[in-house]
Amino acid sequence: MGFFLRRLSFYFIALLFAATLNFIIPRAMPGDPVTMMFANATVQVTPERIAAMKELLGFVDGPLIVQFGMYIKSVLTWDLGVSVQFYPLSVNTVLGNAVGWSLFLAGSAVLLSFTLGSVLGIFAAWTRGSKFDAIISPGMLVFQAVPQVVTAMLLMFVFAVGLQWFPTGYAYSPGLTPDWTSWEFLKNVAYHAVLPLIGASIVQIGGFLIAMRNNMINLLGEDYITMAKGKGLSENRVVFNYAARNAMLPSVTALSMSLGMAIGGQMIIEIIFNYPGLGTVLLNAINARDYQVLQGQLLVMTLFMLFFNLLADMLYVLLDPRLRKGA
Amino acid sequence: MKGIFNLLMNNPKALFGSVILFMFIFVAVFAPLLTDHVPNKRTGKPHEYPSPIVKIAQAYPDGWVAENLADDKRTMLMSKDAEHVLGTTRMGRDIWAQLAYGARVSLGVGFGAGIVVCFLATVIGISAGYFGGRVDDILSAAMNVMLVIPQYPLLFVLAAFIGEAGPLTIALIIGFTSWAWGARVIRAQTMALSEKEFVKAAEVLGESRLRIIFIEILPNLVSIVGASFIGSVMYAIMMEATISFLGLGDPGTISWGIMLYNVQTSSSILVGAWWELLAPCGALITLSIGLAMLNFAVDEIANPQLRSNPGMKRFEKMQKADKKARAAHVQAEVPHFPGEQDLAKDAR
Repeated sequence: MGFFLRRLSFYFIALLFAATLNFIIPRAMPGDPVTMMFANATVQVTPERIAAMKELLGFVDGPLIVQFGMYIKSVLTWDLGVSVQFYPLSVNTVLGNAVGWSLFLAGSAVLLSFTLGSVLGIFAAWTRGSKFDAIISPGMLVFQAVPQVVTAMLLMFVFAVGLQWFPTGYAYSPGLTPDWTSWEFLKNVAYHAVLPLIGASIVQIGGFLIAMRNNMINLLGEDYITMAKGKGLSENRVVFNYAARNAMLPSVTALSMSLGMAIGGQMIIEIIFNYPGLGTVLLNAINARDYQVLQGQLLVMTLFMLFFNLLADMLYVLLDPRLRKGA
Repeated sequence: MKGIFNLLMNNPKALFGSVILFMFIFVAVFAPLLTDHVPNKRTGKPHEYPSPIVKIAQAYPDGWVAENLADDKRTMLMSKDAEHVLGTTRMGRDIWAQLAYGARVSLGVGFGAGIVVCFLATVIGISAGYFGGRVDDILSAAMNVMLVIPQYPLLFVLAAFIGEAGPLTIALIIGFTSWAWGARVIRAQTMALSEKEFVKAAEVLGESRLRIIFIEILPNLVSIVGASFIGSVMYAIMMEATISFLGLGDPGTISWGIMLYNVQTSSSILVGAWWELLAPCGALITLSIGLAMLNFAVDEIANPQLRSNPGMKRFEKMQKADKKARAAHVQAEVPHFPGEQDLAKDAR
């Protein structure tokens, strides 16, 4: 239990730190966000209106420490303010609409790349030094090194614009009304998710593959593997039941962590394919100077990171009995 | 120097990676000599075809190139002078010039941020790992906090708030936000090293801590620091392209990311100007592959266990050389009796 309490308190500190960062960034930049917002307004702006807007958006006048207190209070009560861009909507609503799509895309991309990467990694380690290993391991790392902007743009150019196999953007056809019970709608969503999914997973396969391969290679020299071989077990059994099962351990926890990272990492894919996730919301907020949404966005993403890190910790304890006793 | 050369020759991945990297550095340094046009002014008509394509299409009007690549009559007519090696953008700017001058920004941001990351990671990692105690607690907490704050949104938000960030600003914000991973690895390695006998011996001898850090510990960390440097350069080049692509960079600079941004805003993909998209994409892919190969090579040199061919190639080479050397020593036997050779021939 001590282990968990320590982790939890660390995550709480990290959250406070992120909130502080969130508080500092807009205030450290030149110009006042609210005044900047009105700078290109066409209507007459009176000081009262500015004051009213400031109050509405949570920019309280007063010493920094008071402002900071108010901000932390609003974070802890989960009152992130009102979006400027979609005026009457609150930040919670704007982000809430996007979170589902982001989670869907990130979740399926991580699962896909984890499965592919681990299986390829197991084979690469088992046939170390073969042609397969020599091509697939650096090959996948190379894919990982290519910037996501480039892969996404090329995917879009070749398969969406050139060959026209897949749609160029959004999560479902514009005419459809979202109805999660109709088969038609689900098919449409899957069809629209193909390209973003490929773009988001291709960069992650390499990481899982290399982690799996390196773990396996380190394990293959262990005595119990030699023992299993000596007993005359079939190759499949040695590979999957003896070696891969133990090599999987670090990968499984990496899986949870990478889910948190993927939500931030796939933003660029969402933007290029105009997928209605958090990435697109972020870009729109940046372009519209919607500071409330920006701040909320960073906070939500940090929360996801923390949550999945915590999940990774729990999985680790669950999967590795040594940690359970040690803590 | 000779050692480095040998290392490159024995490791095809390292050779391949460094050739690519040096090619890009060469292009970046000699950009004004390699290009005929200025990158930031209109020097041609909008969307001209690349000149080799134009020439081939003019020579074979019914060939594959003319029918598939240069299929637009109007564009073909506009680019009949074939003055631009890689064609022009929507704004009529020379793509090859943009690519060459853009290499300066991409490499500059990459190496600048790489150096910042490397420096911070090494200083923080070694201090945390070697001094331990209170210092370690504080620095480790800072590392862990930096690791759980999502990088991409933080960078985008920072760039957005700074507004039209120039290359230097981008390099600095990348550098100051992404040192944590490297620092963590270096810290772990330092802790392992400071338990080793030679460090203990130096401590017992009464060496100063600075000397121990620089003479005993740092040289043993070179491979890790090198790997983290190449990794950060890759990451920084990628992030520069991404930030510029989103329109958060200074639109006045010429970089590969800005080129992609222009592709997106002028919807060149939709009008079929493939050359405008492929040029920056190709450059980014080639450079990333080169750096990835270098990274892989550093990994292999640092950790021999991970090599796909652990020493076998060298063993085979030695065996071959050995056989050759033996063959030179073995002399043809003198015939034991006259006619032996003829006999042997008949028996065969």
